[in-house]
Amino acid sequence: MLRLLLILLLVAVAPATAEEFTFDDAEIEKKIWYLGGYGELRPGLNLVDRNAALSRLRYYNRDVDQALPDFNGKLLLEGSIEKDWAKLFVQPSLDYTNTRLENDLKLTWYEAWLQAKPNDSFKALAGKRSLRWGKGYAWNPVAFFDRPKNPDDPELSLEGYWLATADYIQSFDGPLQTLAITPVLLPQRHDLNDDFGSSDQLNWGGKLYLLLYDTDIDLLLMGRGSRSASYGLDFSRNLTTNFELHGELAWVVDAPQQVLLPSGQVILKRSNATSWLMGLRYLTEQDTTYILEYYRNGNGHSRDEMRTFYDQVDQGFDHWQQTGNPTQLQRLGQLQSYSRIAPMTDYLYARVSQKEPADILYLTPALTAIANLRDGSLSLAPELLYTGITNLELRLKGTVTVGANQTEFAEKQNDARFELRLRYYF
Amino acid sequence: MRFLFALFSTLALAAPAFALDGQQLLQQIDRNLNPESYESYRKLINIEPDGSRKEFTLYTVKKGTDKVASLFLAPASDKGRTTLRLGDNLWLLIPNVGKPVRITSLQSVVGGVFNNADILQLDYDTEYRVEKVEDKGTDYLLHLKAKNRSVAYDRVRIWADKSKKMPHRIECLTEAGMLIKTLYFKDIKDFSGITRPATVETDSPLYKGYRSVMLYAKVKKRSFKDEVFTLNGMSAIDSLR
Repeated sequence: MLRLLLILLLVAVAPATAEEFTFDDAEIEKKIWYLGGYGELRPGLNLVDRNAALSRLRYYNRDVDQALPDFNGKLLLEGSIEKDWAKLFVQPSLDYTNTRLENDLKLTWYEAWLQAKPNDSFKALAGKRSLRWGKGYAWNPVAFFDRPKNPDDPELSLEGYWLATADYIQSFDGPLQTLAITPVLLPQRHDLNDDFGSSDQLNWGGKLYLLLYDTDIDLLLMGRGSRSASYGLDFSRNLTTNFELHGELAWVVDAPQQVLLPSGQVILKRSNATSWLMGLRYLTEQDTTYILEYYRNGNGHSRDEMRTFYDQVDQGFDHWQQTGNPTQLQRLGQLQSYSRIAPMTDYLYARVSQKEPADILYLTPALTAIANLRDGSLSLAPELLYTGITNLELRLKGTVTVGANQTEFAEKQNDARFELRLRYYF
Repeated sequence: MRFLFALFSTLALAAPAFALDGQQLLQQIDRNLNPESYESYRKLINIEPDGSRKEFTLYTVKKGTDKVASLFLAPASDKGRTTLRLGDNLWLLIPNVGKPVRITSLQSVVGGVFNNADILQLDYDTEYRVEKVEDKGTDYLLHLKAKNRSVAYDRVRIWADKSKKMPHRIECLTEAGMLIKTLYFKDIKDFSGITRPATVETDSPLYKGYRSVMLYAKVKKRSFKDEVFTLNGMSAIDSLR
């Protein structure tokens, strides 16, 4: 009987052992089409500072609770068809936002392009595409043809612009290992790339990439068109097996800047603006990753200019309360250079993440700080990321702003935000 | 006197010749593991102490001594991630992020015991010089020392079968000789004329109870243009399949 049991046990175990590691051809079969993406649920809670300048600009005529929950959903699809040298790629994003104040469903085509790749040295692409120039993690002053990324979540997909581009690549033996030339044409009309700048221009530019002495180097250019002429340089290099250094330098000729005067008048200043960034990424033996970046925004506002803006918002808000006339607030709300990402001149980004602390597999806690070095305000964002379930990513994140009155982060809409993100890839 | 001179001359010549033999032996081991230029599919399985697993499927292309690139095919959360290695330079392209970022050989893009240097392994001969070869009966034991500090493991010991010149165990050590991980090469298979281990298992005293396994499929000799192994070429690795 015991022998029979043993045989049964062995029979039961044998196939399991044989199948312990399998690798079927079906797992690696290539299809000409691909459909994937992710779905995301993102409930959040905002602790609104109703006296902050950006809060007053946005909610002056709304009854907003201090605790404002929101619910966000996202479906990002990726689809492609590839045959021989041609590839069609689309990436639509369906975004849903629901708060007590608004309910919004929006479809955005992040990317939609057709690529021809006749050989390994050349490819050409036309359509909507995010080029993602630059080496910086949080900021990219040399990303002349891109929308600005959010340093609070720099790895998010970005909506591209409609453009045509190509890559010519050449490899060499010796100190110069790779050379790549990337020209870009970006048309701008009232119904095409309408937020890129002034109308009816065919913008042009390009990038020259070199891998020289084990250093990535890009020389970048955007000719004068819808935006000012811009010249850039970036680099990235591994100094050791666990230490990477990168930098960017951008020079914008005759960069325009709207400046609000204490009188309430808005003037357009033009000056050459030099922006730059230096950063590093360092990995310790304990799997702690440090990312540190200093960003100098050459087209940023001074401390006095920002104070003037905040004073004007306060005055506009008082005026609206007294008269019911929102004109001044609405006019200030259109001055985007004061409420954009990094409106001032000197910033520091620091992120520390620890992979699998205390042997908790697939858990990565991180702390991110973004500091405005001019006014001493900052945002602090602790987060926990868990990736232990295949294709499911869980992220719990809080963001707290710190700063005195009339400083950038203190005058943002929220004092704090807490968010849970569940993302499932398929 | 003549005899002594001849003896010294022979010994003086023999020492470098033996060192050269060690390096040649290492080159033979490299070639027996992989052709100089090839493509392959790999499945990486990370196994936790409780038996739960995480699996990754990769398509890998390699050219010459210092160029290798891998594209993640599965799971969906990692699909499209591409790693490129050109000598000591390593990059990772995450489709969402949209541009290649430099990574280090000590990091691991998959977690578990395999790190980036294991996944994007170059020829051992490219990164190591042979300090000593020991005769261990049916095996050679090669003691390797990294040629420079950019290599992930300072010292490596290769246990290779004498007749096949094929490794069955590789130990990776720190400069001080501390064992970091051991790779076990198993299940020798014929992949259309390339006979090599189809399974590589690894464990590490630093990750007690964890195991990682690498399964090989469709290993095939193939030549590529150098331009495949460039930052601009990373997003097009899938078109090679």
